[in-house]
Amino acid sequence: MKKLRKNIMRISLVLMSLFFVLAAYGAYTISINGNRWFSSTVNEYAREKRSDVIPGGILDRNGVVLASADEAGKRSYPAAENVRRATVHAVGSSAFNMKSSAEYFFASYLYGFNLTLPERLGYVFSGQKYHGDNVQLTIDSALSAYVAQIFPSDKRGAVLVMNYRTGEVLTEQSFPSFDPADTAAAPAGSSINRCTQSLKAPGSTFKMVTAACAIENYADYQTRVFRCDGLLQLGSRTVIDAGTDLSAGKITKHGSVTLEKAFQVSCNNTFASIALEIGDQKLRATAEKFGFNDNFLFRDIVVENSSYPLTNRTDAEIAWTGAGQSALAVSPLHMCLIASSIANGGVMMEPRTLIAVTAQSGARRMSFSEKVYRRPLTAAQAEILKGYMRGVVTGGTGTAAAVSGVKVCGKTGSAEIDTQENTNAWFVGFLDESASPYSLVVVVEDAGGGGSVAAPIARQIFQWLIKNASAAK
Amino acid sequence: MERKKQRARSDPGRAMLLTVMVFFFLGFFLLAIKDGSWQCFVLSVLVPAIVFFGTTVISRLFPSDKLLLALTNFLCALGVLMLYRISPTRGMTQALNYGVGVVCMILSAMLVRYMPKTKTLTILMMIGSLGFLTLPILIGTETNGAKNWMSVGGYSMQPSEIVKLALLWCLAYMLSQRKYILSILFGGACLLILMLQKDLGTALLYYALCLVLLYASTGSLLLVGTGLAGGAGAAVVGYQMFAHVKARLAIWQDPWQYTQGAGLQIVRSFVAIANGGLWGVGLGLGNAGNSTRAGGIPEAYNDFIFPVILHEFGTIFGLIVLGMYLFIVIRAVMIARRSRTVFYGLLAIGCATLIAVQTFVIIGGNIKLIPLTGVTLPFISYGGTSMVSSLCVIGFLQGIASRNAAGVDEDRALAMEGGGLR
Repeated sequence: MKKLRKNIMRISLVLMSLFFVLAAYGAYTISINGNRWFSSTVNEYAREKRSDVIPGGILDRNGVVLASADEAGKRSYPAAENVRRATVHAVGSSAFNMKSSAEYFFASYLYGFNLTLPERLGYVFSGQKYHGDNVQLTIDSALSAYVAQIFPSDKRGAVLVMNYRTGEVLTEQSFPSFDPADTAAAPAGSSINRCTQSLKAPGSTFKMVTAACAIENYADYQTRVFRCDGLLQLGSRTVIDAGTDLSAGKITKHGSVTLEKAFQVSCNNTFASIALEIGDQKLRATAEKFGFNDNFLFRDIVVENSSYPLTNRTDAEIAWTGAGQSALAVSPLHMCLIASSIANGGVMMEPRTLIAVTAQSGARRMSFSEKVYRRPLTAAQAEILKGYMRGVVTGGTGTAAAVSGVKVCGKTGSAEIDTQENTNAWFVGFLDESASPYSLVVVVEDAGGGGSVAAPIARQIFQWLIKNASAAK
Repeated sequence: MERKKQRARSDPGRAMLLTVMVFFFLGFFLLAIKDGSWQCFVLSVLVPAIVFFGTTVISRLFPSDKLLLALTNFLCALGVLMLYRISPTRGMTQALNYGVGVVCMILSAMLVRYMPKTKTLTILMMIGSLGFLTLPILIGTETNGAKNWMSVGGYSMQPSEIVKLALLWCLAYMLSQRKYILSILFGGACLLILMLQKDLGTALLYYALCLVLLYASTGSLLLVGTGLAGGAGAAVVGYQMFAHVKARLAIWQDPWQYTQGAGLQIVRSFVAIANGGLWGVGLGLGNAGNSTRAGGIPEAYNDFIFPVILHEFGTIFGLIVLGMYLFIVIRAVMIARRSRTVFYGLLAIGCATLIAVQTFVIIGGNIKLIPLTGVTLPFISYGGTSMVSSLCVIGFLQGIASRNAAGVDEDRALAMEGGGLR
């Protein structure tokens, strides 16, 4: 009997712990995922309730009203048309399911679901409709309008600018765009936010990650010499460099290069051989340090997860991954985060779009502070990579992004997409200036080389940022 | 006399019982005003009456655990309230189930208290339960991939819910007689039949029950370890053999990929929980329970009743409900510890295991902690068999509690005569 009692007590501990596991996991998953569940596009309850509420306004970082509502709860967009178009992907439109936009992701604030009991009672007894809170975004509407103006009007693509010290997103734009005041005229596919929701091959911009992996795994990364003969035959596939045209007999060769040089000229052969030599596993480990294959659960922005393939792959696939092609899928925002971590001494800040939530009474309900997302690099490694990226702009593929008198760093990319005639032009980079700690990503789809198409757009944005550094603060 | 007075003065049950009855009177009354249906007015009186009856009648017959009764009746009545809110016809049926369940609870308490525990009876029960458990394979109907239901004269029932009780009784009896091999064979046979029915949630429950009882009676970690390894092996075989197990696992990993199909239930359950927030949207004001409304959880009355409670009453209330289950388990463990024979000890800890594991499996499935398997939430989910078997478990516990109290009285009498055994 005594033994039975002892066993019963042990069993009871296990049984009770089941309940604690349930409660702890429940609390955890609701606190992490609650707002994602709430703002999901299948939330019919919230959709029904919206019609009974006057939604709160959406403001930019300087207080410019981007969206407001009348007494009947109907949305209006008071800014000028070019500003409306340039901020619509951050603000959102109730005509489309834009799950990463403020209209959806901050619906619990905008539509009064967070009102306190006394406030609710106050509205009920005074016979008024609930009035939701105002939200202030990190978006800069003037910068957004400028970016929209210089982006080639006939192209698809994405531009995102953020502050790499705080993670604040200053503009997130997707082209083609549309006017929220006239949703009927919206072109097909224009409601997708290409900064956060569209995953693409990163092309050579991924060499930031491959280079980080090389620095970590080669003790002699500074002196080691790589040989580029222009062609690297792997089974039936060949790794070639930009400019090579086998049918015309034209082959681009870089000869003997160091890691730094290979990065500047964006040599595919070198990065392919690095990936092969170091191996898929280690390269994946580095990529995962930068956030690949992670479930992005940022507090106030929805980003599709990036993927680095997990399963058995051929040498040719591994080699092309080192150069940024082959089954890699990443959002422009994530590439911008990677560049930002290099700019910010190896610390990757969580991207943010929300500054504050303010009640209609004017009282600040909640404000949000910066948070470190992860630390993929040591400060020393970040410094080395920063030097490489500076080299790209001073004497490599990204010279078109240079602004005189300012330290611009960056990496170009020209990602091949099977269904397109031209490559996707990429530029990711940042200003290495303490007064203007901004990073950006520019993607122009089906447009050509990153150095010739995307880098000049980046240059203009950098110039605007420097000129308006105080305004954009 | 002296003791009776003391008991009356320090009785925490009375205030609690009154609170519970008022709670449900108000709950049904609110729904009645909202719907304007006379049935709901009837329920607003009837349900508190059943709560009163279920909580007090056993105490009048013999000593019992009143706190356990009050908690159980609260959960049952909450089930009726939520089911009425989801679908009035189901609510009315569940009120009937609840009434029948209370009667069964009293009968099973008397069974444990008065019935002789003999070998013949146990063997008859074993043969009967194996036969009964096999029936759905022969004449049953398949729902949600599992073939575990059958209809008899217009009533559909789930034999595994009733056999659960027989398994508990037989294992407790045989293990108390140290018949380990026979126990393992019997438990294994039941598990095998359940696997054939593809009723994996119930199989998991039976399996946990067998393991716990084996450990309690032998204290052998080796035996439990072997059992766990065997269970892991069976899980792998089950995964390979059954397509619907693979599908469930895929949904568990990412239900958002299946929002148009089989993942719909769990995704809508998430959304319902998020809409509820801390304080809930209010009784009768939500959409989650009503499958005909946009965003309603399909078949919420069965596997997904808990998310509906979170939706309308809020997360804090949900935690309190979880705490009530925990309290029921704690009371059951205390009864097990106080029991005076190995049989009663095993029976009581088995009861605790059934309630704890079943609650864990279904709520864990609701919040995606573990893959969803179709077991009912004890006391709350819709269904007559489930209600009867859950309340019989409580009846068992009451029977054992009364034996414990009787034992205390006998000991006292012996001590007073100066011939105490201790």
